[in-house]
Amino acid sequence: MTTSNPLTPEQETATPAVELDGIRLRYGNHLALKDVSLELAAGEVMAMIGPSGSGKSSLLRCINLLERPESGILRVFGQSVPLEREIAAKELAQLRRKVGMVFQSFNLFPHLPVLRNITLPQERVLKRSRDEAEARARELLERVGLGDKADAYPGKLSGGQQQRVAIARALAMDPRVLLFDEPTSALDPELGIEVLAVMRDLAETGVTMMVVTHEIHFAADVADRIVVMADGQILEQGDPDQVLTDPQTERTQRFLRAVKDR
Amino acid sequence: MTEMLNMVGQWMPRLLDGLWLSLQVTGVSLVLGIAGGLALAVLALSRKRPVRILSTVVTEIGRGTPALVMLQFVYFGLPQTGIMLEGFAAAATALTLTTAAYTSEIIRAGLKSVPQGELEASSALGISRRDSLRFIIIPQGMRIAIPSLLGFSILMFQVSSLAFTIGLPELLSQAYSIGASNFRYLEVLTVAGLLYLAVTIPAGWFTRRVERKMSQHL
Amino acid sequence: MSILLALLYGIPVTVGVTACSFLIGMVLAAFLALGVRSRHSALGALSRATIDVLRGIPPVVFLFIIFFGIGNQLLRMNPFTAAVIGLGLISAGHLAEIYRGGLSAVHKGQYEASSALGLTGADTMGRIIAPQAFRVALPGMTTYAISLIKDSSIVSTIGVAEIMFIANQSARSGADGLTPFLIAAAIYILLGTPLAWAARSVEAKLHVRISR
Ligand SMILES: Nc1ncnc2c1ncn2[C@@H]1O[C@H](COP(=O)(O)OP(=O)(O)OP(=O)(O)O)[C@@H](O)[C@H]1O
Ligand SMILES: [Mg+2]
Repeated sequence: MTTSNPLTPEQETATPAVELDGIRLRYGNHLALKDVSLELAAGEVMAMIGPSGSGKSSLLRCINLLERPESGILRVFGQSVPLEREIAAKELAQLRRKVGMVFQSFNLFPHLPVLRNITLPQERVLKRSRDEAEARARELLERVGLGDKADAYPGKLSGGQQQRVAIARALAMDPRVLLFDEPTSALDPELGIEVLAVMRDLAETGVTMMVVTHEIHFAADVADRIVVMADGQILEQGDPDQVLTDPQTERTQRFLRAVKDR
Repeated sequence: MTEMLNMVGQWMPRLLDGLWLSLQVTGVSLVLGIAGGLALAVLALSRKRPVRILSTVVTEIGRGTPALVMLQFVYFGLPQTGIMLEGFAAAATALTLTTAAYTSEIIRAGLKSVPQGELEASSALGISRRDSLRFIIIPQGMRIAIPSLLGFSILMFQVSSLAFTIGLPELLSQAYSIGASNFRYLEVLTVAGLLYLAVTIPAGWFTRRVERKMSQHL
Repeated sequence: MSILLALLYGIPVTVGVTACSFLIGMVLAAFLALGVRSRHSALGALSRATIDVLRGIPPVVFLFIIFFGIGNQLLRMNPFTAAVIGLGLISAGHLAEIYRGGLSAVHKGQYEASSALGLTGADTMGRIIAPQAFRVALPGMTTYAISLIKDSSIVSTIGVAEIMFIANQSARSGADGLTPFLIAAAIYILLGTPLAWAARSVEAKLHVRISR
C-alpha cells in the first residue's frame, strides 16, 4: 500500500485526469448531454456552473459511470472506458478506484459510526487491514477537523460535519480525482463555509477536482478554470476571472446576473 | 369458586406444556421462516428477471394459501411423495413456509426503503453489489422491518394453534382434549384463551414500544 | 376431476361465511371504534380491552369457545352460526382498529369547523367525519377482507362444509392425499385475486378524487 499521496500531480502531468469526447446521455427520450467534450488536467481544479437542469450532475455521474452515456469516448487517467459494450466488473472496479465522489446529500451510511463509514470501503474494496484502515481514517478525520467524531453516528452530526466525513470517506480510497456535486447546496451558509474550507485545503495540496457548485466566490478563488453549462452543452469555459467578469455569451451573462443578484 | 380454581390448577400443567410447545414451534418457524423471507426478498432484488419472477410467484402462492391448508398439505399430502414428517416437524415446516412468504414482503419493503443515494455512494466507492447488500442494505432494511416482523410474530404464535389439526399437542390441543374428557369445554378453552392473551397482549405492548422508539430515532 | 367438482361446492360456503362475518364485523366495529374514542373513560377502556381480546386470541380458539364451550353447555347452535358469530366478532376487533386509524387521520380542523358551523355531534360524525374516515379505511378493510377469506378456512374445524373441509375429507378418504390441498390452495388464491384488483382500483380512484 502506498502511503504517499497519489493525488499529487507531479508524476502525471502528461496524461490528462479525465478526457470526455462527444459524450451523449439520454434519459428516456430526453437528451441530457449533447455530445459534450471536456478535458481535466491532472492537478487541475475545475468548477462547473450553470442553471438547474443543464446537465452538470449528469456529466459528473458519467465519469464514474453512475450514468451510462450512449456514445462518446471516456478516458480516466489513460484508462479507456468502453461505452459501446457492457463494462466488465473488473474494469468498473478499476475505474471507481480512481474516481472519488462527494454528493449533495452526503449519503453517509447512517447505521455505521463515522469511523466505520470510512474504514468499511477501505477494507472491502482496497483489502486493507482493519488497523491500516483505521489509521488512515483517523488521519483524514483530523485533516477535515473532525478528529473527535470518530465514534459518533452520522445522524448526530451537523450537515457540514457530515459532508466533511463524506469527503474523508472519499479521500480514504486514495482516488486520483475527486468529483463534487454541489457539496454545499444542502447546507446552511455557515456550515457550507466549513466544507468549502476543507475543499480549499485539498485544492491547495494539489488534489485533482471537478466541482459542480453555485458558490461563485469559491469558483473564483479556488478554481483554475470555470466551465459553464446550459441545456446539455458547454457554453463557455476559461480562466475564472475572465468568465466571471467578461462572459462571452448572453446566456452566461443572464445566468451570472441571476446568481450574483441572490 | 374454589372448586373451579382447583380444577384450573389441575389442568394447568398440561396447558403450560402445551403453551411451551406452541412457543417452540412458533420460535423455530420464525427463525427459519424469516431467514427464508430474507432470501426471497434478496432474490426479488436480483438483476435477473426470471429470478425476480420466481421469487414473486413463490411469495404470492405462499401468502395466498391459508396456513391451515399449508399444514394439512405438509402433514397429510406430502407423505404421498415419500416425505413423511411427524407432528412437530410438519407444523414447523408448514409455518416456516407461510412465514417465509409473508416476511419476504415485509423485508422487501425494508430493503427498498434504504435511500437510493446510499446505494450510489456505495457504487461510487467501488463497493461490490454483494458487499453493499451485506453491509449497507440488509442491516438497514432488517432494522426498518423489525416492528412489522414483531407484529407478524405475534400473529404466527396465534396461527400455531392450527397445528392441533395435525395432532401436535400444543396449547389448543391440550385444552380440547381436557374438554373432551370432562365436558367442561367452556372453562378449559377460556383458560387456554387467557393463556394466549397472556402472551399476545404484552407482546403487542412491546411491539408498539419498539415502534415508537424506532420512529423517534429517524 | 371429481375432487375439483367436490371442492367447487365449498366455494359458496366459504364466500357465505366470509361475507356474513365481514358484515357483522363492519357494524360491530363501528361501536367499538366510537367507544374507544369516547370521552367516557370507562367506556373507552372497555372498548379497548374488547378489541385487544378479540385480536389477541387465536381465531380457532375463539371459535372453539363459541362452538364447543357455549354451544355445548349453554346454547345449542349449528356450526355455520357459530362460525359466523366467531369470525364476525374477530372481524369487529380488527376492523375497529382500521376504523380508528381512519378516524384519527381526519384533521382536527374538521371538528372545529363543524362546531363553528353549529352542527350537532351526530351530524358532525355522520356527515363530516365518518365519510372522510371511511375513505382512509377502505384499503385496510379490503386487505382485511382478503385475509378473512383465508382465515375462514378454520371453520372447517367445527364442521362447516367449506373448501378446506371438503379438501380434508377427500384427502383422507380418497387415494390421492395431495391433490385436494393443491386445488384448495389454488381456489383460495383465485378467490383473493379479484378483491385485490378491486382494492387497487378503488384506491386509485379515491386517490384521484382526494387529490383533486
Ligand atoms: N434519473 C433521471 N431520469 C430522467 N431525467 C433525468 C434524470 N436525472 C436528470 N434528468 C434530467 O436531465 C437533465 C439534466 O439533469 P442534471 O441533474 O444533470 O442537471 P443539473 O445541471 O445537475 O441541475 P441541478 O443544478 O438542478 O442539480 C434535467 O432536465 C433533468 O430533468
Ligand atoms: Mg445537479
